[in-house]
Amino acid sequence: MRNVPALLRRELNAYFASVLGYVVIMFFLLVMGVSFVSIVGELLSRGSTQLTVMEGFFSWFWLPSLFLVPAITMRLLAEEKRAGTLEMLMTAPVTDFEVVLAKWLGAVALYTLMWAATGLYVVILRHFSGEQTALDLGPILSGYLGIVVIGQFLIAVGLMTSAMTRNQVTAFLIAFALLFLYLIAIWFGYYFTRGTTAGKIFEFLSAFEQMNDFQRGVVDLRPLVLYASGTVLALFITTRVVESRKWR
Amino acid sequence: MQPMIKVENLTKRYAGVTALNGVSFEVQRGEIVGFLGPNGAGKSTTMRILTGFIPASSGRVEVAGLDVFENSLEVRERVGYMPENNPLYVDMRVSEYLKFRSKLKGLPRAERKERIPEVLEMCGLTDVSHRIIGQLSKGYRQRVGLADALLAEPDLLILDEPTIGLDPVQIRQVRQLIKDLGKRHTILLSTHILPEVEMTCNRVIIIHHGRILASDTPDNLMKTLHAGGLIQVEVRGPGSEVQAKMRALEDVESVNAKIIEDGYVRVALTPKLGTDPRERIYQTVATNGWTLRELTRTRTTLEDIFVQITREEDEAEEERREQRRSVLR
Repeated sequence: MRNVPALLRRELNAYFASVLGYVVIMFFLLVMGVSFVSIVGELLSRGSTQLTVMEGFFSWFWLPSLFLVPAITMRLLAEEKRAGTLEMLMTAPVTDFEVVLAKWLGAVALYTLMWAATGLYVVILRHFSGEQTALDLGPILSGYLGIVVIGQFLIAVGLMTSAMTRNQVTAFLIAFALLFLYLIAIWFGYYFTRGTTAGKIFEFLSAFEQMNDFQRGVVDLRPLVLYASGTVLALFITTRVVESRKWR
Repeated sequence: MQPMIKVENLTKRYAGVTALNGVSFEVQRGEIVGFLGPNGAGKSTTMRILTGFIPASSGRVEVAGLDVFENSLEVRERVGYMPENNPLYVDMRVSEYLKFRSKLKGLPRAERKERIPEVLEMCGLTDVSHRIIGQLSKGYRQRVGLADALLAEPDLLILDEPTIGLDPVQIRQVRQLIKDLGKRHTILLSTHILPEVEMTCNRVIIIHHGRILASDTPDNLMKTLHAGGLIQVEVRGPGSEVQAKMRALEDVESVNAKIIEDGYVRVALTPKLGTDPRERIYQTVATNGWTLRELTRTRTTLEDIFVQITREEDEAEEERREQRRSVLR
């Protein structure tokens, strides 16, 4: 693990040395800004509802996840393979897992950073909400926790697809398809099988249902374990794929 | 003393293709060895195995007495490698890149601060150290790759086609650099440019179709394989008579005469192995009263040897195939 800090630093620099980091963050803030404004507008015109502003806001998490996570991860290993820099990297005294881990950490850091920027919305809400409706910070923090916990797993899946090809577009599309399956298809499965045993499994797996809990302030250990093990599995597979040059 | 590189019976098969077929060789400490072969001969594959990027299908490969597969990390610490096409992170600045690489190679901070300016100086990169690699010319990029390979003062330098794509001036500079480096490092470099090997290497390994065909000093290869070279003569005289007299000479293997302008005849002679018939040629010309205006011997170059060896191998291969076919019939 000695080399992870140096590798991670290189990853973070790479995001901001190219336009990619800025473009991703710009799109993210644009989409989230628009949804924030429309949610606030709707609540103001309708008066008080069951939903708080941040709950409405968090429920849009799937949109940037679906599009921006593959955009962040597509480059990571596919580009190294295409440009041949993987050879130079792997012939330094560095293990394959160190490289995979640093790339995952770098992407998670970028993802966390862009979500952290939306913390400004909380400040704005707090400023204008007045004392009688003071914001409850607990559910907001647990909502952010949910965002990061789910996001880091999606990033691990995206990194895995990037290891499988040397074409960034292919990596994007495969990652998009997998994330679509995970986020949307599982939710549909849950929607149509509610009340049955299968429905319970789908409910447990559905990121939307988990996010519902997180943003209400419910931090359940089960999804945490699920995502931790999912990430470990995805990173393990990624490392094996990178190593596959050695047994193919 | 333990050899720097020891390769025994190395075979590498990719799906359906045998890239290396029972290759064995050794490189002693302090040698500069040129790996010579046409494209696709197996040079890069051998180097990738030596640096632990890909494993061998079978055979044993040791660097400084360490097995490259079992002690991969230790081997990589001792080897400075410049891969084919010299891949670099083009979005980084030269000094930034070298700093990153020296961290990966485990240089402590103090050593790093000393070593980076040193290699920058050595490779003539000091003036461009703040520039972005992607904006540098190919020659400079090549030197960045070389600087990277030198960072950790490795025992062994493995350079895959270090002069490819450079202009003649840059090629000279890089060759000179390699020669200088050879005083302190063991070097294995690959190329398909022959004068390069003649100029920089103590020993040549010729590889073709995944097999080693020859391994010797450039001089010895030239001596044993094709001593005489060609002798070219231009005389004024009757064409057929000149050809006949030349052919009758001792030590002459074959003659090829051609009439050129003003009654001059150009004769190309191949002498027998290890002989020099130039004196006899002059005497023949003088006794016949012809006018001589040229008598030169072209030295056999490594290039001739290379073409000869690989062609013999190809012919032998063809013969084997032919035999197999006739057996099948």
